[in-house]
Amino acid sequence: MKIRNSVLFTILFIVVISLFIFDIFIGSVNYSIEDIIQVFINSDGADGIVKTTIIDFRLSISGLQMQTIFRNPLAGPYVLGISSGASLGVALVVLGLSPFITENSFSFIGNTSIVSAAILGSCAVLFLILLVSLRIKDIMTILILGILFASATSAIVSILQYFSKETFLKAYVVWSMGSLADVTKSKLIYLIIFTIIGIVLSILSAKTLNALLLGEIYAKSMGVNISFSRSIIFISTGIMAGTVTAFCGPIGFIGIIIPHISRMLFKSSNHFILIPGSILIGASVMLLSDLISQLPGSGSNIPINSVTAIIGIPIVIWIIYRRKKINI
Amino acid sequence: MNSGNDFILTISELEIGYFNQKKISSVFKNISLSVREGELIALIGRNGVGKSTLLKTIARINRFVNGEIQINNRPINQYTLKEWAKKISFVSTDPVYISNLTVRELVSLGRHPYTNWMFSLSEKDRNIINKSINTVRINDLEFKNIDEISDGERQRALIARTLAQNTDIIILDEPTAYLDLPNRFEIIYLLHELSKNKQKTIIFSSHDLNLAISLADKIWLMEGASIFEGAPEDLVLNGTFEHIFDNSLINFDKITGQIKLIRESIDEIYVSGSGNAYIWTKKAVERLNFNISKNSNSLIKVYITEKQKKLIWELEINGKKFVYNNIYELNLHLNQIKIFKNEQC
Repeated sequence: MKIRNSVLFTILFIVVISLFIFDIFIGSVNYSIEDIIQVFINSDGADGIVKTTIIDFRLSISGLQMQTIFRNPLAGPYVLGISSGASLGVALVVLGLSPFITENSFSFIGNTSIVSAAILGSCAVLFLILLVSLRIKDIMTILILGILFASATSAIVSILQYFSKETFLKAYVVWSMGSLADVTKSKLIYLIIFTIIGIVLSILSAKTLNALLLGEIYAKSMGVNISFSRSIIFISTGIMAGTVTAFCGPIGFIGIIIPHISRMLFKSSNHFILIPGSILIGASVMLLSDLISQLPGSGSNIPINSVTAIIGIPIVIWIIYRRKKINI
Repeated sequence: MNSGNDFILTISELEIGYFNQKKISSVFKNISLSVREGELIALIGRNGVGKSTLLKTIARINRFVNGEIQINNRPINQYTLKEWAKKISFVSTDPVYISNLTVRELVSLGRHPYTNWMFSLSEKDRNIINKSINTVRINDLEFKNIDEISDGERQRALIARTLAQNTDIIILDEPTAYLDLPNRFEIIYLLHELSKNKQKTIIFSSHDLNLAISLADKIWLMEGASIFEGAPEDLVLNGTFEHIFDNSLINFDKITGQIKLIRESIDEIYVSGSGNAYIWTKKAVERLNFNISKNSNSLIKVYITEKQKKLIWELEINGKKFVYNNIYELNLHLNQIKIFKNEQC
């Protein structure tokens, strides 16, 4: 078993590295070999790709955490309403302000405020969930409340969309389609910092997640402090899923499915294996999607959300069809 | 032992219940019980009486309303979470189905309170895990996934997990709930062995009165508003079981320790025979609500005889004789008579 896992990890690692390099070659800007060396030196052009790489594994880790804590194979960053919280934040800034400012001053709002709004939005929903989970102990009830929060926020977003001007609407839609193209170097720093915090928290909670596999009663009887670990896990999920959504729009589906692929590949439920596994699988899937979304030669970018869905869903359907069941 | 009392667990004036915001819904009051080390205790009671709540309260999974629970003469709330996890382990009724979790990994989870944040298992941890797997005899299943094994085997694996957790007290909430008869016996017998050979103090809830009576050291019987405590035999002799279980449909048989259906007899039947054949024929006849009579003048008579090493049932009704080779056919005939009589009434 151990040898098999090491081999898998090595292969996945090589895949990620090769895709990473390949992505730089084909990437939206045409690099020469010298450029690539330049890229690694001053890391200006690699930003987008670095971002691409780290986006997806954060979504997959947060999906993994949610599936274990809710003991539900359908849970993902979406279920707690974290992604929708971010959408609401962005919608409030982009669409909510539209009646008060002219189209010319739109650039004034800028990317920075979009990102901050998204982070604030997801944190607000997360805070709400934490507050609820202090009062309500039943995890299934929290799951349902999360779904309700998500629906409520999308409803508000729809209303905002209805009343906003076309330019603003387009800006919002472009954000929500998950464009990975424009990341400045300063933003990348935040992304990396948040990612590191999120990953450290998730690795620290891996042992607890293993205990939570059996359910909260067993976890409690094994000495797990449920409220405390639940908060840590929610915060780490919120940080990771929230910032991903902030920078790249609500990237769907991946958070649910990468943990399942990881479980099937490594044949394990051990989070010390599944967390790094999901990181590597998530990164490769996202890099591949990015490659395809850039349509080499055509010079135009397809929204990456659609790409992950189009290439990912058939694979997933095939896996589930073969295995006939999906489980935690 | 310390402070002159050798109880590992004492419960005094306990009130259990549920907390709903500011309202408390009480489930059971005035629970006072005690347990000595190495005892096997069966908690018996009807559905909904509060068995599960009591067990979860003792395991500190639920809070309690009033009273006190002490382990080794120390109130349970004074234990830290980690100390507690080394004192009591718990097996719940919730079924555990996880694909991709092997039996060995499940048992290893018992080492949770003893390992660091990376869950690195020392040589000692590994030895304890191996021993636990050996004790419940699931060595051949070690590397199987827990959703590939039977319910009985999974229950054994869960018990092995509590052994790996290495606690003095093990609490199990209906460990035989999903099991067939042989498995139920094996699980309770395993608990019996653990309490006798490993000095584990074990409390389990169950609906298997028979097994509980024959294997438990003590029974806690929850009924109505009171909880009765005592050796199973004492509860039989002082009439507690009879008192609890007798009603219009069933009664408690003091000799066999079994619960029996009360049958309204419609007719008397005389059965002559010996040994096992007699006992089982009697059972079959009783199933049809006939009363066994010692009077050979009864209208219906059954003679069990053996011809050429084969059993033969001779049925005599009002002087007419019928011969059958098995109980099934005998009963078919008797059933006809019963239906006929019922129609006449």
